[in-house]
Amino acid sequence: MGAAGSKLEKALGDQFPEGERYFGFENFGNTCYCNSVLQALYFCAPFREQLLEYCANNKSVADAEENLLTCLADLFSQISSQKKKTGVIAPKRFVQRLKKQNELFRSYMHQDAHEFLNYLLNELVDILEKEAKGTKTDNESSSSNGLKVPQANGVHKEPIVTWVHKIFQGILTNETRCLRCETVTARDETFLDLSLDIEQNSSITSCLKNFSSTETLHAEDKFFCDKCCSLQEAQKRMKIKKPPHILVIHLKRFKYMEQLGRYKKLSYRVVFPLELKLSNTVEEYVDIEYSLFAVVVHVGSGPNHGHYVSLVKSHNHWLFFDDENVEMIEESAVQTFFGSSQEYSSNTDHGYILFYESLGTR
Amino acid sequence: MMNTSNGMISAPSSSSSPAANPQSPGIKTYFKTPEGKYKLHYEKTHSSGLLHYAHGKTVTQVTLAQLKERAAPSTPTGTSSGYSASSGFRSATARLLGTGNGNRALSFVGGNGGGKNVSASSRISGSFAASNSSTSMTNTNFDGKGTYLVFNVGDAVFICDLNSQDKDPVKSIHFSNSNPMCHAFNPDAKDGHDLLIGLNSGDVYTVSLRQQLQDVSKKLVGALHYNKDGSNKEGATDSTFPAIRDPTQFTVDKAKYSKSNPVARWHICQGSINSIAFSYDGSHLATVGRDGYLRIFDFSTQKLVCGGKSYYGALLCCSWSMDGKYILTGGEDDLVQVWSMEDRKVVAWGEGHNSWVSGVAFDSYWSSPNTDGSGEHVMYRFGSVGQDTQLLLWDLEMDEIVVPLRRPPGGSPTYSTGSQSAHWDNVIPMGTLQPAPCKRDVPKLSPVIAHRVHTEPLSGLMFTQESVVTACREGHIKIWTRPSVSETQSNSSEATSTIALLSTSFPKDNKASLSSKIVGSII
Repeated sequence: MGAAGSKLEKALGDQFPEGERYFGFENFGNTCYCNSVLQALYFCAPFREQLLEYCANNKSVADAEENLLTCLADLFSQISSQKKKTGVIAPKRFVQRLKKQNELFRSYMHQDAHEFLNYLLNELVDILEKEAKGTKTDNESSSSNGLKVPQANGVHKEPIVTWVHKIFQGILTNETRCLRCETVTARDETFLDLSLDIEQNSSITSCLKNFSSTETLHAEDKFFCDKCCSLQEAQKRMKIKKPPHILVIHLKRFKYMEQLGRYKKLSYRVVFPLELKLSNTVEEYVDIEYSLFAVVVHVGSGPNHGHYVSLVKSHNHWLFFDDENVEMIEESAVQTFFGSSQEYSSNTDHGYILFYESLGTR
Repeated sequence: MMNTSNGMISAPSSSSSPAANPQSPGIKTYFKTPEGKYKLHYEKTHSSGLLHYAHGKTVTQVTLAQLKERAAPSTPTGTSSGYSASSGFRSATARLLGTGNGNRALSFVGGNGGGKNVSASSRISGSFAASNSSTSMTNTNFDGKGTYLVFNVGDAVFICDLNSQDKDPVKSIHFSNSNPMCHAFNPDAKDGHDLLIGLNSGDVYTVSLRQQLQDVSKKLVGALHYNKDGSNKEGATDSTFPAIRDPTQFTVDKAKYSKSNPVARWHICQGSINSIAFSYDGSHLATVGRDGYLRIFDFSTQKLVCGGKSYYGALLCCSWSMDGKYILTGGEDDLVQVWSMEDRKVVAWGEGHNSWVSGVAFDSYWSSPNTDGSGEHVMYRFGSVGQDTQLLLWDLEMDEIVVPLRRPPGGSPTYSTGSQSAHWDNVIPMGTLQPAPCKRDVPKLSPVIAHRVHTEPLSGLMFTQESVVTACREGHIKIWTRPSVSETQSNSSEATSTIALLSTSFPKDNKASLSSKIVGSII
C-alpha cells in the first residue's frame, strides 16, 4: 500500500496539488459501495469545504453525540490533516455507525451505492435540520440563514435550507396539462439526485431528454383535473425548474425484470460527456454548464454481486480509487466506463452515479 | 450527374445483398429517403479469428483508396470527387491526435498531416484541385479492381476491394506492439507512397498501396518510417522542434533541418485534436478537439481565420462542403453543427442523434431535385453517424433556415455575457473564436431520415458516387447503394417519377417547424 502511494506521488511529481491528500479506504468486507461514494463526496469541493467547516465548529461537542454527520466530518478531517500525501485510511468509525444505524447496510451482502448515497444525504439533512431547529429555539431571529425555500404546492419539507440542500438540491416541476380544458397544473418537487432510465447506445443528454419527454395520461392512468372536477386525459412532463449546484445523476442500471422475478443489470453503453448542459430546464437556466468531477462505477455482471470503484477529478488530474488503491489515469480512460454495446461483454465496468458541478456563477 | 455506363453496380445487387441480416438482428437492409431506397449492397469485415485483446481498444476508421494507374483515361467532368485526396488527410491526422497526451499528439498531427503539404505549400492547392477533376469518373470504371477500402481494427490494417461481393479483406497488415489509429490516401503522391498509416505510438509510415497488395506477407513492405522517436511518447525529446513555450497559444514551428519530415509543427491548443480536414481547394484547414472548439486556419499564411465552441463537450469530427462555404462538426453534445465560413459562426444545429456524433460528411454527389439552374436555390445534403448506431441524412437550404425569434436585449438572467446572441447581427471579426452559442439563438434542423445501420456505435461515414459507406467502431463496414442507381436500372421511368414526386413534397414538411428567415446568406 505504501508502495502504491509513492507510485502515485511519483506519477504526479511536482504537479502534486498543494495541500491535497489522496488516501484509499480499507474495505471491511463488501464496503466498497461506501468507499466509492465517500471518495466522490470527498472530492466534491463545496461538500468537503462545508463538512470540514462543520468539523472545526463542532470540535467541542463532537464527542457528546456521535452520528453519521460527525463520523463523516471526522473522517474527512482525518484525511485532510494527514502528514503523508498518500496512503490508506480505515473509515472504521463511519462504517460502524452506518451499520449500527441502518440494518440494511449491516450485512456483508453487496449493497447498492446509490441507495447508500441517498440514505447518507437524507440522514445528513435530518441531522442538520434537527440542529438548526435546536438553535432556532435558542435564537429565533437567525432562522435558516434568511433563505427562503421555494415552496411547493404541497409542502413536504420543513422550510430549513441546510448546506446539503444548497449543494445538491434542485427543483423539478411536474407540469400536467388537462387535454380537455388545457389548464396547466404545475407541482414542484425537490430532488437531491436524478434517476434516469437508460437505453442502449445512448448519451446522458438523450436520457435527460427522455426524462423530460411528454407523457400522455390516459385509460386507467387519467388525471384528476381540478377545473373539470373529473378524471381527464392529460399530458405530463417533468422539467428542471432550478438546477442544483452539484448535479448527481443515477443511471438505472438495475432493472426489475418482471418475467424473471428479479433484478438484472443493464450493461448498456451510455456515454457521458465531461461537460454537460441541461436540455430540460426552464428557459432561464438553459445554458448553464456543468463539469464532470466524479463517477461511481459498478463492476460486475449482476446486481447482487460485484464491486464499486470511483473515478475522481482533482486539480485537473483524473484518479482511480479502488478501495485501498489510488492510481492516476488519463482523462481518455474515463470512456472505458461507458458500458458495452453488446449484451455479453467482458467489459463489466460501468458508470453508475455521475457527479457534475455547475460552472455557472451563483 | 449519373454515370449510366456503370458496370459495377449492375452486378446482381439483389442476390448479393442479404434479405435477412443474420449478423445484425433487427437491422433493416434498406432505408427510405425522399429520393428512394438506399439498399445494403456489400458488407466488409475482418475475420474475427484474428482478433485478440487489442480489439476494441482502437476505433475503426475507413479510407477510400483508388489506384490511379489502372484508371481508364477519364474525361474530366466538372463534377467533384476529390474525396480521397483531402478527406484522407483528415482521417489520418484525426485519430493520431485523439490519442494520449494532447499536446504531443497534436504537434505530431500538424507536422505530418500538414507536413506533406508544407514541403510544397504552393503546390498543394494545385494538386488538390487537380485531383478534384481527374478522379471524378474513375471509381465506377474498375469492375471491382481499382477502388479499395482501407480500415484499421485492433493491431491490423485491412484492405478490401470496394466493388467485390467478397466480405473478407484481400489483404491484412499486422503491426506488433502498436495499433494503427488512422490512415490516409493520396493518389497524387509523388514518390508513389500513396498510403499513410499512423500508429498510436506516434510513428507514421508511408507505403505504396499497390506494393502491399502484391506482397503476400502480413507485414508492411517498403515503408518509409517517420517520427521514429515517437514524439508523443512520454519523455521523448523532440529535437527537431523547439519546446512549446505556452501550451495555450497557437504556434507554428518549422523543422530545423530542411530535409526532415515532419517539416513543421502546428501547436493548436491544449488537449487532443480529434479530427482535421482540409478544404477541397487545400487553402484552409479545420481542426476540432477536446476543448470543444472548431478552428479554421488559412493554411498558407498559418493564421486563424475563425472558429467557435461547441454547445458543450468535445468535438469529434469535422468536414467541409465542396464549395468551402460550410463546415460540419459533430460532438459530445449530440449535435451536428453547421458552420458558415461567410458568417464566421454557427448557422444551424442538427438535432436528432441520441448519442455523440462521430462522423459527418456532405454528400457532394447529391443534387437537389428542385434545382432550377438559376443558382438561387442552393441546397446541400449531408449525413451524420453517431454512437447511437444511427445514420442521419439532412437537407440544408440556407435561404429557408430560420432564426428563432430574438428575445429582448438584456433578457438573459444567467451568465450569458459574451454569448453569441450579442453578435448575431454583427459581423464577426476575423481571427476570433466564438463562445458557445445560446440554445435559443441557433436555428434547428431536423433530419430527413434516421436509420439504425449497425449494432455497434458508428465511427465513420463517406459518400461515394454510387453509395454511402458506414463503419462502426469494431470494424464492420456497410456499403449502401444510392436509390438512383438501382432503381433506374430496374424501372427507370417509374422510379424517376416517384423520386420527383417525393422530393418536391418533402422539403415543405421539413420546414414546417421553422419560422422567420435568414435571407441572402448564400450569394
